[in-house]
Amino acid sequence: MLVQNWVFSSVLIANRGEIALRIVRTVQALGLRAVVVYHRLDVGAPAVQRADEAIEIHGATPVAAYLDGAQIVEAARTTGAGAVHPGYGFLSENAGFARACREAGLVFIGPTPELIELMGDKVRARGFVERAGFPVAPSAIEDDEPATFNQRALAVGFPLLIKPAAGGGGKGMRIVREPSQLASEIERARSEGARYFGDGRLYVERFVENPRHIEVQVLGDTHGTVVHLFERECSVQRRFQKIVEESPSPALTEAQRQAICETAAGIARSAGYTNAGTVEFIYGGGDFYFLEMNTRLQVEHPVTEAILGIDLVEQQLRIAAGEPLVFSQADLKPSGHAIEFRVYAEDAAAGYLPTTGPVLMLRVPAGEGVRVDSGIAAGQDVTAAFDPMLAKLIVWGENRAQAMERSRLALRDYVLLGCKTNLGFLSRLLRHPAFAAGEIHTGFLDAHPDIAAEPDLTLATKQQLLASAALTCRPVRDAADAVPILHAAMGAWRN
Amino acid sequence: MAHNFSLHGHPHEVWLARAPSGYTLHIGDHSVAVAMVARGEHVHELTVGDCSERIYVAVRGDEVHVHLDGQAHTLRYTHNLERFSGEEQGEAEAVSRAPMPGAVIAVHVQEGQSVARGEVMVVIESMKMETAICAGHDGTVQKLHVVEGQTFDRDAPLVTLERAEPVA
Repeated sequence: MLVQNWVFSSVLIANRGEIALRIVRTVQALGLRAVVVYHRLDVGAPAVQRADEAIEIHGATPVAAYLDGAQIVEAARTTGAGAVHPGYGFLSENAGFARACREAGLVFIGPTPELIELMGDKVRARGFVERAGFPVAPSAIEDDEPATFNQRALAVGFPLLIKPAAGGGGKGMRIVREPSQLASEIERARSEGARYFGDGRLYVERFVENPRHIEVQVLGDTHGTVVHLFERECSVQRRFQKIVEESPSPALTEAQRQAICETAAGIARSAGYTNAGTVEFIYGGGDFYFLEMNTRLQVEHPVTEAILGIDLVEQQLRIAAGEPLVFSQADLKPSGHAIEFRVYAEDAAAGYLPTTGPVLMLRVPAGEGVRVDSGIAAGQDVTAAFDPMLAKLIVWGENRAQAMERSRLALRDYVLLGCKTNLGFLSRLLRHPAFAAGEIHTGFLDAHPDIAAEPDLTLATKQQLLASAALTCRPVRDAADAVPILHAAMGAWRN
Repeated sequence: MAHNFSLHGHPHEVWLARAPSGYTLHIGDHSVAVAMVARGEHVHELTVGDCSERIYVAVRGDEVHVHLDGQAHTLRYTHNLERFSGEEQGEAEAVSRAPMPGAVIAVHVQEGQSVARGEVMVVIESMKMETAICAGHDGTVQKLHVVEGQTFDRDAPLVTLERAEPVA
């Protein structure tokens, strides 16, 4: 597996959390040196501990440090890294950063800046896909004629979705159901877009109620080969952000699967796509249309790795080093079923509000088909400074039923104490009959608020909890131990 | 002596007493035999009545965090003094607190400045959404607790307003 004579022998990972650690592992497995950047809040993170070298970066806010491309390029220079892996989020879809890497003589592990620009600008990407003959949804694009944008948006029809032209990951998106709300929602979305992406341009598109979100993983090498690596169903979402992803999608027939996957490969091929990317589709009533293309590694990529036995980060590195793909489309045969659960620091019952707190105890599940990609360690603090995703649990089974049963056990055995997480919520979601039946859509959690609600405690559970607290708590136990048994018994009668 | 734990926001009064083997826990009118044996760091075997189960426990200050049957719970030990002292609330001032953890993206007011009810004082960002923190009443900004770019936890004070004197 060790590689030789590549143009780079050391890779700087410009990210944090679970993905930084996951990339470090593959970089080291290939015999390359792994360098990570970190903000001081992350000094205790597993990736920082595991990397061959770690270099501190600074910023006005912790997030700003990881968004500072110039500082990261300088860190690569200082540490002698020959390549930069951006992970997901942060600078991963920033064409300017990819270009800055190239100009500094660094290999950017991803597509070219030109491809990031084409697909990263959602408006240009839609136009490109439409012209290439693939299906897209009714929309209005501000840039076409800014003066008439609001009128054209009205004409798209309601409900509609406002999206930042430069956006991604659900940031700055707003659903509008009433024409009277349109103008004010456009202003808010513009402000958010300007702040997150430095670009306040918008577009709107008809919002399909309760659609499924199905995406297709693609890989393209620098020798003109593009393959798809099948689909992932990511319909269980809150606030447009995914919580559970699986492959294969329980919704698709074999013919539909082939059609959607070949469409994705066709879009990537038309663009001359290189490296890893994901084509996202909205799927409803048997039809699908192009949503957007993400020009980076996805959070949920392990689902694909689990059904194909392929390390996608290794493929990214090999492609960036100029190697041709060693498999053809016909070689790719998925096996079994994989489900990923995102472990978030949040309170599902309180509207999925993010939570903070120290990680007092952490015990991750293990077992056949169980993988945990975690970015935290016991002793670390979960703060409001970063995204609330702490880890991912990926479970593989020979079929969906076995994957679900293994997931049930893994979620039960996942212990994280000190900071409230969504682990209990994930268990309730898994048990829900509609989820078990694969009847999911992007409005699934709104339609089933009982999943988010904390169930009432049974009397037996209350007794167990109060007993464990009383027996653990010093003042309670000391008070009990200070009274001889006979008196204690009298005390009880007296009460 | 009775002790109080809050569990999911509800107070529970308990009384723990030594018993010939282990302890007896009194909860209201019920009493039940309980015992806990350590099986490793944070790992315990808890017995309540005839039923034993493996649990995980971590303590931080007055908080007891328990993982029981796949669910994490937090109990808080309430000191007696705390229980009986009511919360002191100033009538003349009002503190705007963070409804959720997040970061400050804009501060529109200065200390000493007068604001009208509904005026935007601070804009915060949480869950990738902007939320405007507005003045709940007319008044003067007595204290700004945050600056732009600062991150905060839930319930952190953001702005303290002094109520405007009613016009005589």
